[in-house]
Amino acid sequence: MADEKKVGAYICSGCGIGDRLNMKQLEMTATRDGKAKVCKTHDFLCSKAGVQMIQDDIDNDGVNQLAIAACSRRAKVEAFNFSDVSQTRINLREGVIWARPEGDEHTETTQEMADDYVRMGCHEVKAMTVPTGSDEQPLVKSVLVVGGGITGLTAAVESFKTGYSVTLVEKSGALGGMAGDLYKRVPTRAPYAEPEETGVAELIEAVNAADGISVHLNTTVTKTAGAPGRFEIDLSTESGSTETTTVGAIVQASGMKAYDANQLPEFAYGKNADVVTNVELEALAKAANGGSMKRPSDGKEIKSVTFIQCAGQRSEKEGHLSYCSGFCCNTSIKQAMYFKESNPNADTTILFTDLRTPGAGGEDFYRSGQKKGILFSKGEVSEVVPSAEGLEVKFNDLILGEETSMQADLVVLATGQVPNSGPDPYAAVPTKEEKEAAEASNTVEISVESILNLDYRQGTDLPHLSNGFTDSHFICFPYETRRTGIYSAGPVRRPMDTLQAQDDAMGAALKAIQSAENAGQGRAAHPRSGDLSYPLFRKEGCTQCKRCTVECPFGAINEDERGFPQFNESRCRRCGTCMGACPVRVISFDNYSVDTVGNQIKNVDIPDEFDEKPRILVLACENDAYPALDMGAKNGYHYSQWARVIPVRCLGSVNTVWLTDALSEGYDGVVLMGCQKGDDYQCHFVKGSEMATMRMSKIADTLQQLNLEEERVSTYEVAITDIQRAPQLINDMADTIEKIGMSPFKF
Amino acid sequence: MTEVIATNQTILVVGGGVSGMTAALEAAEMGKKVVLVEKRAFIGGRITQLYKYFPKLCHPTCGLEINQRRAKMNPNLTILTLAQVTDLTGSEGNYSAKVTISPRYVNENCTACGDCAKAVDAEFDNEFNYGLGAMKKRKGAYLPYNMAHPQTYVLDPAMIGTEDAEKAKAACKYNAIDLEMQEEVLELNIGAVIWATGWRPYDAAKIQPYGYDRIANVITSVEFERMMDASGPTGGKLIRPSDGKEAKDVAFIQCAGSRDRNHLKHCSRICCMASLKQSTYVSEQFADSGKSTIYYIDIRAIDRFEDFYKKVQANKNVSFVKSKVANIIEDKATGNPILRGVDTEGYHRYEQPHDLVVLAIGMEPSLNEAGFPGEVVINEHGFIERDESNGAIFAAGCAADALDVNRAVQSATAASLRAIQVVNRVAGAEG
Amino acid sequence: MSELNIAMVEKYRNSFLHEVEANVEEGDWVKMCMQCGVCSGSCPLGSHWEHSPQKLFMMIRAGKREEVLSSDSMWMCTSCYNCVVRCPREVPITHIMHGLASYAKRLGLVPKGQQTAKFAQHFWDNLVKKGRVNELKLGLNLYFMNGFAEGVKTSLKMKDIGLGMLKTKRMSPMEIFGGHKVKDLDGFQAMVKKAQEIETARIEKNMNA
Repeated sequence: MADEKKVGAYICSGCGIGDRLNMKQLEMTATRDGKAKVCKTHDFLCSKAGVQMIQDDIDNDGVNQLAIAACSRRAKVEAFNFSDVSQTRINLREGVIWARPEGDEHTETTQEMADDYVRMGCHEVKAMTVPTGSDEQPLVKSVLVVGGGITGLTAAVESFKTGYSVTLVEKSGALGGMAGDLYKRVPTRAPYAEPEETGVAELIEAVNAADGISVHLNTTVTKTAGAPGRFEIDLSTESGSTETTTVGAIVQASGMKAYDANQLPEFAYGKNADVVTNVELEALAKAANGGSMKRPSDGKEIKSVTFIQCAGQRSEKEGHLSYCSGFCCNTSIKQAMYFKESNPNADTTILFTDLRTPGAGGEDFYRSGQKKGILFSKGEVSEVVPSAEGLEVKFNDLILGEETSMQADLVVLATGQVPNSGPDPYAAVPTKEEKEAAEASNTVEISVESILNLDYRQGTDLPHLSNGFTDSHFICFPYETRRTGIYSAGPVRRPMDTLQAQDDAMGAALKAIQSAENAGQGRAAHPRSGDLSYPLFRKEGCTQCKRCTVECPFGAINEDERGFPQFNESRCRRCGTCMGACPVRVISFDNYSVDTVGNQIKNVDIPDEFDEKPRILVLACENDAYPALDMGAKNGYHYSQWARVIPVRCLGSVNTVWLTDALSEGYDGVVLMGCQKGDDYQCHFVKGSEMATMRMSKIADTLQQLNLEEERVSTYEVAITDIQRAPQLINDMADTIEKIGMSPFKF
Repeated sequence: MTEVIATNQTILVVGGGVSGMTAALEAAEMGKKVVLVEKRAFIGGRITQLYKYFPKLCHPTCGLEINQRRAKMNPNLTILTLAQVTDLTGSEGNYSAKVTISPRYVNENCTACGDCAKAVDAEFDNEFNYGLGAMKKRKGAYLPYNMAHPQTYVLDPAMIGTEDAEKAKAACKYNAIDLEMQEEVLELNIGAVIWATGWRPYDAAKIQPYGYDRIANVITSVEFERMMDASGPTGGKLIRPSDGKEAKDVAFIQCAGSRDRNHLKHCSRICCMASLKQSTYVSEQFADSGKSTIYYIDIRAIDRFEDFYKKVQANKNVSFVKSKVANIIEDKATGNPILRGVDTEGYHRYEQPHDLVVLAIGMEPSLNEAGFPGEVVINEHGFIERDESNGAIFAAGCAADALDVNRAVQSATAASLRAIQVVNRVAGAEG
Repeated sequence: MSELNIAMVEKYRNSFLHEVEANVEEGDWVKMCMQCGVCSGSCPLGSHWEHSPQKLFMMIRAGKREEVLSSDSMWMCTSCYNCVVRCPREVPITHIMHGLASYAKRLGLVPKGQQTAKFAQHFWDNLVKKGRVNELKLGLNLYFMNGFAEGVKTSLKMKDIGLGMLKTKRMSPMEIFGGHKVKDLDGFQAMVKKAQEIETARIEKNMNA
C-alpha cells in the first residue's frame, strides 16, 4: 500500500557525533521507542553516498517519513532534499554535542538528550503528511492596479510587459494623477542639473496602446472579495453601474493628497493669493510654460520668490505632519529653477533648517541650483506678513543668529505628501471619553474613504504603518504588507518622488505577479515562500469561537454566515497563529500541527522526581531564537542538559495545550523564545510574539490550578544575535528549578 | 569543475549583498533560472557586518536568515562564491559572461565541523572585523562568520603550500580539502544581467585632517558597527582601540568623505541615519553615562526617519553641533582625539576632546575601482546610469545610487522585474 | 563715504551678493558655500576673526554690506590656504578674502588703524618704487608704523635677528640708500599702471552695466 506510513531513521555519526554519543543506543531508541521501521547509521550522512542510501530506501523500501538525525535543520539543507516524503531533522550536532561540554561526567545526560531528540523526531514525522498545495485557486494572470497616477501607470505598463493583463482603475476622469500636473520633474539622470520632462504623457500613451490594459476612469473599487488568484473586484462608475472582474493580485497605487495649507495661517495661506503651495506653483509654471510667471494677485511678473521648506511638516503642532516628505527640498530647487529659466535675475531664496537632497543626484542638483544663483538660508520662518511691496517673510536666521525678514513677490510653501490610504483596520478605537470629548468640542469627524473595500473580517483596507502610510514594517522586505497579494506602491506607501515611485511600481508589480503565480501553484508567499502546506480545518469540532479569525495577523480568515472560519488559503502565510489560537485544536497543517509538536513533547523521557533530572521544554522561533542557539553552541556557549528544544514556525503558533500537557506530564519548566514585540516588532508574522505573551499571561491560572509556581513558565524576546543570551536564558530556568524544586507531576 | 547550466533564459546576478540576493531570490521564486555571482566567500554582503538597522533597530541577520533559507530551498538559484564576472559581451537576450572563480580549497563535502580550523596554527587578518580588536586575526582555515552561507570553510590562499595547509587536509575526515584546487573560468550564456556590486566604505585615511591613519581612537562607522556584535572584535563592548577604555563620550562626524569635492561629491544618504542609530548604541551600553555628539551639516532624516531623529534628539545625552569638523589632533597623554571647528549656528569655536571619534564614512560604489567588464553608462560618481544603451544590464541597489537597505531592496526588486521581462521575451520568441 | 561707494550702494541697492559677484575677485563663488564651517575651523588665526569666512558669506547673502565691507575680518587672512584645501565646495576662500579686502579698500571702507591694511599699503608702496621689495626699509617702516617710541622698542627687540641677517648676508645695510631694483623699472611701473587702469575700467564698466 503506497499510502502506508513508514518511518526511516537515519543517524549520522560524523562531525564528532559518533565520538560523543552511543550510536547503538540511538539506533535502539529509534527502532524501539521511535518505532522506526528502518534505522541506519552513516559516518558521513550528507555525503553523496549517505544521501543515496536514504534515497534508495525511499525508492526501494517504501520509506516515506524521514527522521534525519545529524546536524541542525539549518545546515546541509541542499543535501537532504527529498521530494514527496515527510521529513524532520534531529539536531544532534548543534543541538546536543555542541550544546554540551565534553567530559565523562556529562556523557550520560548528553546521551539522554540525544535519545530524547531521536524519539521526538520519529514521533514528530509520524504525525506529518506531505503537503500537496492548496488548489483553491487557479493561475490567474491578471493584476488590478488602483490609481492612474505615475505609479499606477508604471505598474500597469510593467505588469503588461511581463505578460499579465491589467485592470487599471482611476477615480477621476483622466489618467496622470498629480505627477501629470507637474510642469517638470527633478532630474533622474546625470548631470542632475536641469529639471526634466515628467514622461507621464508617454506613459499614458503606452497604457492606451496596450491591448491587455483596460482603463476604467471615473471608477472606484466598491468591493474586493476573495484571495490571491481569485480576487473578485466590483468596479463602480460614477453613473452607478457596477461590473465584476476577477484578478490574480492587486497593486494599490492610490498616491497622495496635497497637504491642506489652510492649516498654516501663520504663513498667510488663504489670506493672500501670493502665498501658494508647491503643488499650486506647478500649475502657475505650467500656465507660464517657460515664460515669465505672474503673480496670482495682480498678474505682475514675479521678480522675487521665497520658498519656505518644511511648511507644516517635521512638526508636532496640531494639523502638521510629523514626518519629512523627503521630496520637497529637491522640488523647491526645481521650482526655483523655473523662475531662473525665464529670468536669471529673479531673486529666489530657499529657507530651510536641514537641506535634504540625499543620494547621488541630490547633491549635484543642489549645486546646480546654487550655480544658477538660488540662495539658500538656514532659517526658521515664523510668519509671512502681507505688506505694501508684497510679502514680508519673517524668519530667524540660524547662522547669523538673528530675527530678520525678507521681501518677496511670491511665497511658496514646501508642503508635504499626505497618503491617500483607506481607513486603518487596526486604528485604535476611540474610548468613550475621547468620543465624548470630541462631541463636546464639536470636532468634525473626518471620514476616510475606503480604497479597496475589502470584504475581509479585519477591515476594508491595508493596515497603516505610521502616519497613514501603508508601508511595510520590514527593512529587508519593503513590500510585505499585511494583506497577501495586495502590494502598495508610490506615495501611499511612503513619501517619495516620481522616480522612486516608478521604481516602487515595478517592485510592487513583481510582487503582485509573483503572488498570483504562487497562488496558482498553491504555494505560500513570503516569508515561507514555497511552502505547500496550508491550514486544514476540522469543521465538526469547531465551536465558532472566532479566535482564529480575530488573531490572524494577515486578516486571511473570514467567517461564513454561520460563523465558521473560511481560511482563504492563498491569503494565508502559514505562520500557524490560528492553530495556536484554537482552543479546540481543529486547525493544523500537513507538516506542522498540534500533534507534530505535541508528539515531541510527549516523547521526552521524564525521569522520576528522585532522579534529580528535571526537564525544560524550550519552544523557540525557528527564524531567530533557534539559529541563535545553534550559533551559540557553535561558539561554545553551552546550555543546560535538561533542555529539550523544539523549533516552532512562530511563537504565535504555540497552542497552550502544549504547555498544559508538558506541565501535567512532569516537565519542570517551560521557556518560550520569540521575537521582539511592540511598535518595533521584529516578528515576521507580525503578532506571533505578542499573541504568545498574551496567551501566556493566561497560563498563570492553569499554573495555579495545578498548584505550580509561576516561575516555571517564562517568555522571552530573543534576537538572532543573542548567541550568548539565549543559552543563558535556558540556564536561568535550570537555576530556577534548582531553587524551587522539581515538578510534583512526575509519574 | 564547477558545473553551471545557463541559457539565454537565465538571469545573471552580480553581487550577493542584500540587493543581489533580493533580485536573485525574487526572480528565482518567479520560476526563473538565476546564477548569483559573489566575490566574497559568502553571500549577504555588507549587512552581515552590521549590528542593527535604522530606524527599527532590528538585526540584519534576522532578514538574512529568511533570505538564506529561501536560497537553500530554491532549486532555480545557483550561487557561485569567490567568483567575479571578468568579461561580459553580447546584447539583450544573449550575453556571454566570463566568470572567474578563485579556489576555496574546500569542496562541497565540507560539513563545517571546524576540525581544520582547530588543526592549523597560521593566522591572518580578519577582514570581517576590519582587523579590529581582540579578534583582528582569524585562522588560515576558517568559516568567514557565524552565519556564513554557504556554510563551507575557506582556506586562506596564503596558507597553500605551507605545512599548515597539509595539517588542515589531514584533519578533515570528509575529504573536503582539496589543495590542488585551481582558479576556474566559466563561460555562461545568459539573457539578462542584474549588476548589484554595492559599495565600499570610502578610504578614511584620505581625509587627512581627521587623522584616521594617525590617531588610534579615530575609527569609521563600519568599524564601530562591528564592536556591537557579541561575537565581534570586542565581544560586543564599545571600547576604544588605543587602551581598551570604555568609549563613553563618542563624537560622530558626518559627511566624512561625502558631499565633498575633495572626496565623494555625492551625499551617501545613509550616514546621518547611521550615526543617529549608533548614538543609541552608546546609550544602550552606558545609559546616562554615555554621551554622543553629532557634528553635521544637514541632518538628512527623510520620511519616517524624521520620527527616529526626533526620538534621538529627545535623548539629553545626545547633542548636535552644526559644523563640519576642521581637524582632529590627539592628546598624547590621554589618547583622546580633540576636535576643532566652529559651530556655525551662532559662530562658536570649539576644541573638544572625546573618548572616541566615529567617522560617518561615505559610500563609494564598488564599481569604479574594479571597472566594469562590459559596456554600460557610468556617471562621474561611479554609479550606473539608467540608459537605453545598457541593454539588458540593470543596476540594482548601491551600484545604481547611494541607498539605504530598504531602498536598495526596492531597487533590486524593480531590477529583477526588468530582467524577468527580458528572459520572458526570449522564452516567448523561442516558444 | 567715497563717491564710488555711494555709486555702488545706489547700483546694487537690492543685492549685495550681486555687487560682490561683479566686483570682488572670485566673488562669483560666494553663492556656492553650503555653510559647513570647515573654513572657519581651519583658520589658524580663526579666534581673531570677528566674522569667520563662512559667516561673511552668509552676511553677504543677507545683504549686510556695511558690516562686511567695514569689517576687519578679511584682513586677518594670511593666505595659508588651509580653508581652500578643505572646502568641500572648492570655494577659493583665500582669494575671496583678499578680494573683499581690496574692494573695501577701493571703496574707502577699511576700518581706521587696520594693521594689515596699513602693512599692505607699506608693502605696496615699497614694492612699486623699485619693483623689488626693500626688506630693510620695509622692516623699519613697519616697526615705526605706529609711532616712534614703539618703533624703537620693536627695533631693539628685533635687533639680534637683524644683525644675524646682516652677518649671513641676507640683508644689506646698503639697501637704506635707494636699494636694488628690477632691470626694467620703467616697464614694470608702466605695467602696474596699466593693470590699475584695467581694474578701474572694469569697475566702471560694472557700474554702468
